[in-house]
Amino acid sequence: MTEGAAYILEDVTFAYGERVALEVPRLEIPRGKVTAIVGANGAGKTTLLHLLGFIEPPRTGRITFFDKDVAPEEALDFRRRVGLLLQDPYLFHTSVLANVEWGLKLRRVPVKERRERAMRALEQVGLSGFERRAAPALSGGESKRLALARVLALETDVLLLDEPMSHMDRESAGRTEQVIRELNRERGVSVLLASPDILWAQALTDNVLSLHDGKIVPASLANVFRGRITDAGRSFETAKISIYLGDTEAAGTHLAIDPSAIVLSKEPLTSSMRNTLHGRVVAISEEAAKVRVEVDAGERFHVLITKKSLETFDLRLGDEVCLSFKSTAVKLF
Amino acid sequence: MDYLFKAFRDAFGLIVGLDGEVYYVVWTSLKVSLAACLLAALIGVPLGMKIALARFRGRTCVLLLLNTLMALPTVVVGLFLYGLLGRRGPLGALEILYTPAGIILGEFILALPIVANLTVSAVKGLDPRLLLTCKSLGASPGQEARMILVEARYAVTAAIVAAFGRVIGEVGIAMMVGGNIKGFTRTMTTAIALETSKGEFELGLALGILLLLVALIVNVALQMLQRSKADD
Repeated sequence: MTEGAAYILEDVTFAYGERVALEVPRLEIPRGKVTAIVGANGAGKTTLLHLLGFIEPPRTGRITFFDKDVAPEEALDFRRRVGLLLQDPYLFHTSVLANVEWGLKLRRVPVKERRERAMRALEQVGLSGFERRAAPALSGGESKRLALARVLALETDVLLLDEPMSHMDRESAGRTEQVIRELNRERGVSVLLASPDILWAQALTDNVLSLHDGKIVPASLANVFRGRITDAGRSFETAKISIYLGDTEAAGTHLAIDPSAIVLSKEPLTSSMRNTLHGRVVAISEEAAKVRVEVDAGERFHVLITKKSLETFDLRLGDEVCLSFKSTAVKLF
Repeated sequence: MDYLFKAFRDAFGLIVGLDGEVYYVVWTSLKVSLAACLLAALIGVPLGMKIALARFRGRTCVLLLLNTLMALPTVVVGLFLYGLLGRRGPLGALEILYTPAGIILGEFILALPIVANLTVSAVKGLDPRLLLTCKSLGASPGQEARMILVEARYAVTAAIVAAFGRVIGEVGIAMMVGGNIKGFTRTMTTAIALETSKGEFELGLALGILLLLVALIVNVALQMLQRSKADD
């Protein structure tokens, strides 16, 4: 569906020299939603965000932005319509306020409005009162928040955030999460964020794009195991465990299990789920509005549950638990 | 020893007594050096930025050439310009041989590679994330260049100051292209050479002290600039 897409990518590739960094046959990124791009380091997340931010033109293929074809010579106009927070942004050797106002100055926003928008953005990231400080003197977390404010002040319809939470303490990260949600809900801003943390991304949004070696894979990248298909295509064996696949035509050397599709129980369940593994809870942590439980069942599994089920379960570290999941929750690539 | 002591005393007398001839020579020196540096900055800074940022064939050769030109002997420039600007030379019609304009041209040639080369280093020394950050915030190529210049401001100023230090103290060009004409093209360095050879050691010494003073002021200014950078 073309209607409602912020971006449509068709046959897009990008390469650094000879090394192909990204290969996307087709991808639609919805308008007005929060989309997370997850993948390991070097999977192509930053490359994809740079293409979406019109920093670099794709080597081949085309990108449609809000129903308009983007020609390379119009890149600057389109670039000004998106707010891109770089993974490792540079702060100009001047005041905090001047840093935030710079992008607005480029767009010839009048002085008074510029000031208002900059102050609002600084407040959003919790840096009110820092206006006159020298930007290079800020701490790591403050720098990242300043860089975010600089992007927020642009008030674009699209926000591209490359690992926005890195170098941030828990409090700042929580605040940033809230800002992202508010902007999306109240102003309908389309947000794309790249993160290496699959579970965090999955807890934040339902739209998760997984990148693996520059390709979009149709699976959540949590619980990824390497192994091989055996038993005439009916099971997948890692070095430690065996997982039942059911009747599938899919092939691959990697397997991923959606962490939201795994059911935790203290006793084995009597259900249609063909995979049941026994393990021990080794970590419990809060993740956005959900709870991340790590279970050692030969391989280490990540499971996302709600806070409510954590309470009803009375789950504690060291508990013996059962992991159950359907063969349809398993993706091969 | 007495002779040296007396010479110093007379030299200070000339400086403190605001000797007209001394100060006219100082003024001429400052005027031509500043003009030459200004011109070199106007051309050398953008040139240096272009060389630092652009990727083109022969870039290494250009850098090598600039490096070599930084060590240009002043008498060679003087000789070369004498040939060009002389009455029978191809640029003789300009009639700027033995004028301050002639010295400015020569000192500009001397200063340009210094300004350009040090600007290349200044821009190359900037944080590699700067350009990408400018781009990501929506800067046009012109706005990018302006921001690069702003971020490199201290190092670029230092480049111009270094060029000034070189031209204010040079003697070859001022002598050969300027001709050391009293009240017209006589600079501090040519005056020192001449007065000393004439036996006017005190006058030469007075000018030498003033030349050192100018060098001192330039260096103090540079240091203050670097300190304010550290405070940023």
